[in-house]
Amino acid sequence: MIRRIKMESTKKQAIETARNRLLIGGALMAAAFLVVGARLFDIVVLNENEDLRRAAARDIVRPDIMARADIVDRNGILLATSLPTASLFANPHKVSDPASAATRIVEVLPDLSEEVVAARLSADKGFVWLRRNLTPTQQFEINRLGIPGLDFEEEERRVYPHGRLAGHIIGFTNVDNAGLAGIEQSMDAAISGAKEPLKLSIDIRVQQIVRQELAAQIEKFKAIGGGGIVLDVRTGEVISMVSLPDFDPNAPAQAPDETRFNRITLGVYELGSVFKIFNHAIALETGAASMSKSYDATKPIKISRFRISDYHPENRWLTVPEIFKLSSNIGSAKMALDIGSERQRKYLGHLGLLRRTSIELPEQSMPMIPARWREINTMTISYGHGIAVSPLHLASAVAATVNGGILRPATLIRAKTPETGGVQVFSAETSDKMRRLLRLVVENGTGRNADAPGYLVGGKTGTAEKQVNGSYKRNALISSFVGVFPATDPRFVVYIMIDEPKGIRESFGYATGGWTAAPVVGGVIKRMAPLMGIKPLDETAPEIVRALNVNLTAGPAEGRPNATN
Amino acid sequence: MASFGDAQPTIRQKLLRLNWELVLLIVLTASIGFAMLYSAANGNFDPWASRQISRFSVGLAMMLVVALIDIRFWLRASYPIYGLCLALLAAVEIMGSIGMGAQRWLDLGFFQLQPSEVMKIAVILALARYFHGFDVDEAGRLRNLWIPVLIVVAPIALVLRQPDLGTAMVVAMVGGSMFWLGGARLWQFGVVAAGVAAAVPVAWQFLHAYQKQRIFTFLNPENDPLGSGYHILQSKIALGSGGMFGKGFLEGTQSHLNFLPEKQTDFIFTMLAEEFGLIGGVGLIALYGLLIAYGIFIAFRCRSQFARLLAMGLSVNFFLYVFINIAMVMGILPVVGVPLPLISYGGTAMLTVLIGFGLIMSCWLHRDMHINRRGGLA
Repeated sequence: MIRRIKMESTKKQAIETARNRLLIGGALMAAAFLVVGARLFDIVVLNENEDLRRAAARDIVRPDIMARADIVDRNGILLATSLPTASLFANPHKVSDPASAATRIVEVLPDLSEEVVAARLSADKGFVWLRRNLTPTQQFEINRLGIPGLDFEEEERRVYPHGRLAGHIIGFTNVDNAGLAGIEQSMDAAISGAKEPLKLSIDIRVQQIVRQELAAQIEKFKAIGGGGIVLDVRTGEVISMVSLPDFDPNAPAQAPDETRFNRITLGVYELGSVFKIFNHAIALETGAASMSKSYDATKPIKISRFRISDYHPENRWLTVPEIFKLSSNIGSAKMALDIGSERQRKYLGHLGLLRRTSIELPEQSMPMIPARWREINTMTISYGHGIAVSPLHLASAVAATVNGGILRPATLIRAKTPETGGVQVFSAETSDKMRRLLRLVVENGTGRNADAPGYLVGGKTGTAEKQVNGSYKRNALISSFVGVFPATDPRFVVYIMIDEPKGIRESFGYATGGWTAAPVVGGVIKRMAPLMGIKPLDETAPEIVRALNVNLTAGPAEGRPNATN
Repeated sequence: MASFGDAQPTIRQKLLRLNWELVLLIVLTASIGFAMLYSAANGNFDPWASRQISRFSVGLAMMLVVALIDIRFWLRASYPIYGLCLALLAAVEIMGSIGMGAQRWLDLGFFQLQPSEVMKIAVILALARYFHGFDVDEAGRLRNLWIPVLIVVAPIALVLRQPDLGTAMVVAMVGGSMFWLGGARLWQFGVVAAGVAAAVPVAWQFLHAYQKQRIFTFLNPENDPLGSGYHILQSKIALGSGGMFGKGFLEGTQSHLNFLPEKQTDFIFTMLAEEFGLIGGVGLIALYGLLIAYGIFIAFRCRSQFARLLAMGLSVNFFLYVFINIAMVMGILPVVGVPLPLISYGGTAMLTVLIGFGLIMSCWLHRDMHINRRGGLA
């Protein structure tokens, strides 16, 4: 009986223990729920969330460290950047069924050929590339196929957000991210591994303006192409460089070869009358001619088999400013004879027109200059024939002519300290005279179409017949215009060339520089001047009129025979 | 013995005695889940809510059937069920090696079974069966603890090989609680805890890189907000953005704009808290608390050790689901991929939870039954 009671009580006690433990377990669970509830209250109401959100925001803007630095324009606008991508490769030894794997891969990547993929997957190798630079979606889809033996290599892909807008300047890279053209090639070493972006001198806004204006004009005159360059005359910085037709550096392989040709630096052309700027400047600098001197332009010059004539013959004596204003070849040639071959060659050399430029682009050409610098060469070179230079050469030399006479090498890299060094080619006095002459051309000469009210544009037209197989073609022209503004104290050179424009009704059939390129220069200046912070001036203000005044009449004792004679 | 006149009640009687209020609580909780899945699909029954409803209906029917079956059947079937589950788990291990990475499902043709989920119930059944054979004093003796340790360790070893650290730890915790309820001594837990602590540095070497990463991320999610810390950080932001009363049904921006990952499965609680605020979140926790309290209450009322252990073990299992999931989305625990029971989208978890409640109800219906050590009437 006692045992039974004892057993009963042990049993009772056992149940008691079991129940106690059950309650303790329940209490523990309740405590856990309280903790969770308190935490929820903490997150929602006490709001540590602000910190969290800030932490997230801060880290989201942290950029990835890329092996290749960005390229930006002078204002920091992104021109080239690197994106992380994944490239698909396979270890064929691990791919059990190449045929079916290929079928499934091609379903995701339809640009691949099934046979090629299957062949690669059955190769007796440990590594084959299947496709470079997948999009995240493609990578996800390939991952989802779950084919063993496939893997991704993290890579970088160059991306050019502005596409074709600056294609010739920036260039492009190959799949292994080695620069193949443009800045990407010439600055390859500086870009790889750099942490700071490479800052170019160009202004993408001006680039857009130049490209738009130029493209519209090429379209209008049914030209085959064209080029444009804007140069800061004080620093030599290239603000814009456009060559049309152009290409998208994001897909250079698809671009036809001719679109990758940079007319501004790689193309060399006989640029025509724009060269008279240098002829006049050299004549004035050397004293071979003065502003009041006159030359006989009554009839064309005949020398051996050549004949030098004027496009708009005046058939009279012309003063030096008139020769410039009317773009007289006869007058220019006679001035060149006064300068002499040796001095002409020396000054053209000082202007950098006889050697390669120092621009940071691999696509460059040597100017084409006469092997023997004879008298006839001296005469034709005075009006821009018999010498072929790139538009960049020309713009750079014009900048030197108008900026006070100092040649500063053209550059695509943003200058850290403005106005450094340079070589004095002309005196400030010559430079001042040339500014007056250039303004004269736009004010009431061949360049009236380039005017932009208030910005005092000065400039010179150039119309050259293209040489094809050794002879000049009348209907294939390189029509160009070089403008500087403001003429009183030039800041920028704007050079526009149009390749083989055809005359249209609106231009009365003309396809010359004054009709085709000059309006583009005017249009570009009107739009870019406000962006560059240049204020319009009152053209009738007395000090401006005085600064730009040119006396077109001849001095009393300057070469010209007495009229009464 | 006369009082056992109705020891064999008819199905009709059993249905009448069934605790329908518990069924109602379950349906209510699941309905919240349907609403959230409807919201997760931006106000569509497709693709989640509709399927979840049909699964729940099947599960509910299974739950009632399980509840009506005599508890002695379950006691006798405990070991066979455990053996079958262990075999399934081993089968997954063998077949899984063919596929890529972690294979946790067994394709039964009509249904993708996740044996590790069912295994949790099987372990509870087997341990309840084992400890039923001893009273609390006896069970605490070391010589009686070898077999239950094996019962727990065998599935853990298989689950770890999958590898599924989360489920392995849940099985371990459920097993541990069964030991506690069954009568293991406190000092024995102390020894095991010390052993685990000593084993951690060794085990660390065997962890997969992603598992290590999860633990690092858990310790400091802000370190890697775009990578592995993304889930938890977005979850916290969404929780906080709900505020006291939430943004309203279908209005949760963090979840609908897909900032919140896995919103239909593991992170559904976050979505609920975003749309219904602190009130909604606390309300759901309270609902879960009620369900668990009900289970504990039933365990308390059971006369047989088997039913008591079974009801309590299943309650603990359910509690662990809820606690780990909610603690995970709040950043109290690392992300281990445990669903929110009755609410998260997913078939196996839903079915096992409902079967678990079926067993709890069976315990309730047969609470006054004395069962001898072999499963007969006492």
